[in-house]
Amino acid sequence: MTTTMTARERVLKLFAGEDVDRPPCFSGMGNVTTEGLKALNQKFAATHLDAKMMAAAAVSTYRLFGFECGVAPFDLCIEAEALGCEINVYAHSEDLLYPTIKKKLIHNEAEMELSIPSNLTGRGRVPLMLDVIGLMKKDIGSEAAVGSYVLGPFTLAGQVMELNDLLKLSFKKPDKIGRLLDQLSDVIIQVAGQYEKAGVDYITVREMGATSDVLSPRVFKSLILPYLRKIFEKIAVPSVLHICGKTNDIVPFMAESGAKAISVDQKNDVAETRKKLGNKALVFGNYDPYNVLVAGTPELVRQTIRKCMDDGVSAVWPGCDIWPTVPAENFKTMMDEVRNYRR
Amino acid sequence: MATEEKKKELLEKLRNAVIQYDEDTAKEAANEALSTGIDANDAIFNGLVSGMVEVGRMFEAQEYFVPELLMCADALYAGLDILKPHVKQLDLGVKGSVVIGTVEGDVHDIGKNIVKMMFDVAGFTVYDLGRDVPLDKFVQEQLRTDSDLVCLSAMMTTTMTGMKKVIDDLRTRNPNVKIMIGGAPVSQDVANKYGADGYAKDATNALKDAINMISSLKKMKDEAEARKAK
Repeated sequence: MTTTMTARERVLKLFAGEDVDRPPCFSGMGNVTTEGLKALNQKFAATHLDAKMMAAAAVSTYRLFGFECGVAPFDLCIEAEALGCEINVYAHSEDLLYPTIKKKLIHNEAEMELSIPSNLTGRGRVPLMLDVIGLMKKDIGSEAAVGSYVLGPFTLAGQVMELNDLLKLSFKKPDKIGRLLDQLSDVIIQVAGQYEKAGVDYITVREMGATSDVLSPRVFKSLILPYLRKIFEKIAVPSVLHICGKTNDIVPFMAESGAKAISVDQKNDVAETRKKLGNKALVFGNYDPYNVLVAGTPELVRQTIRKCMDDGVSAVWPGCDIWPTVPAENFKTMMDEVRNYRR
Repeated sequence: MATEEKKKELLEKLRNAVIQYDEDTAKEAANEALSTGIDANDAIFNGLVSGMVEVGRMFEAQEYFVPELLMCADALYAGLDILKPHVKQLDLGVKGSVVIGTVEGDVHDIGKNIVKMMFDVAGFTVYDLGRDVPLDKFVQEQLRTDSDLVCLSAMMTTTMTGMKKVIDDLRTRNPNVKIMIGGAPVSQDVANKYGADGYAKDATNALKDAINMISSLKKMKDEAEARKAK
């Protein structure tokens, strides 16, 4: 059977709750590959600071392998940087290192009254991101879905203050943390709003800091969920809530967040999640992008992708960013499997 | 000297202070233990560490999560800071010096800090390089301090691969050094592939591993004491 749907149509129809010919194979998170960087003759460290290079890298996985989207950025520092954090892109390094926050904003409990810059979306790399989205749209926008992501409020809080303090205060002074999360939710809404204006087809909210490996489901529900709701209420384009690590106990809450779809990783029992959430819910996942896609054999890739589909994912989607050194053969195997399995 | 009953009560108080993440009570109990003549080693291992073992169990059973774990660690340190100056050093037959840090590109250090805590408890000299540590720094620090153990932590897959470089470099310069790796993406498979001597999969396992190390240290301590008694 030949398929007449473009990747973009497939993704958008899925989000709209319409029938699709098969689950799309895409992601809401970074998916640049070293194969792509090689073809472009770009260094990873340089791609974070240049709109043309970032956009070219972001669409290269679609170009090379038919992965059904283009997604930028590749790091988790955009919002924190706009708030005033300094970042490190490891410009000296030949290795694949993702930018990190060098200097936090909040160093102790007393500094928790954050002042949000009035020109927030004109700061840091937010303007660069808007260019990148425009370039991606121009390049592949008629064929493939173009997406971006923002952090969830708790994960962003972990970027702007010491994680150690954030975690302890979440327990000792939840009111204080709640106020910070509320402020950060406004920041996230502003940034996501700009991405929408620039033309993204969908937005993923990455809230991995609130995984059940770290926070109890009870605290997730009482402290995190209200702010996720606030954010998803304001996102007009299709939205995805991504949380990695342990999520089995919080998928019902994730589904209540207002996100169009939820995204989980390999630690989630998707068959069970499907039972809990019903047939209509959009559940994206859940292959291990490193141990399967990079380090696994093509046979392991095949089995894993089949299992994702058998378990009932709505889209075949990685548990995290795709780690760049994925072998071309594994990537092709994954795409073939999604296209051909059970058809 | 403390009566057996008083001793038991104070050890229990130390243990519970850790479990209930109560820093003030941990301090109070540590001071009481010293003033009633309880051996500092005894107070640390059978009070504070015993509490931390229970915390580890509760963490694994998902009764406690990372915030609680961090607060329990604070309570343990509150007691440890008071007791440690009073520990009589025993010749354990091991050097007990460790270089520890989170590899470059990774700014997560909670897992590393929990492992570090257990080394502090065990009386190791800990050279903590912190987080986001340039790979060369591990090798330099190991050579500088002649430590017998190097612990590398990576919370993200994206930084885990840097550990292999450090391990290869360490092995070339010093074949005898023991290397332990840990962090969320690390598996036994990765540890084998990278040539590490040991691995701690996550906070729970790090805690367990560290506790195992301490248990074996305690065993050595007991054996050393038995030898002395002869």
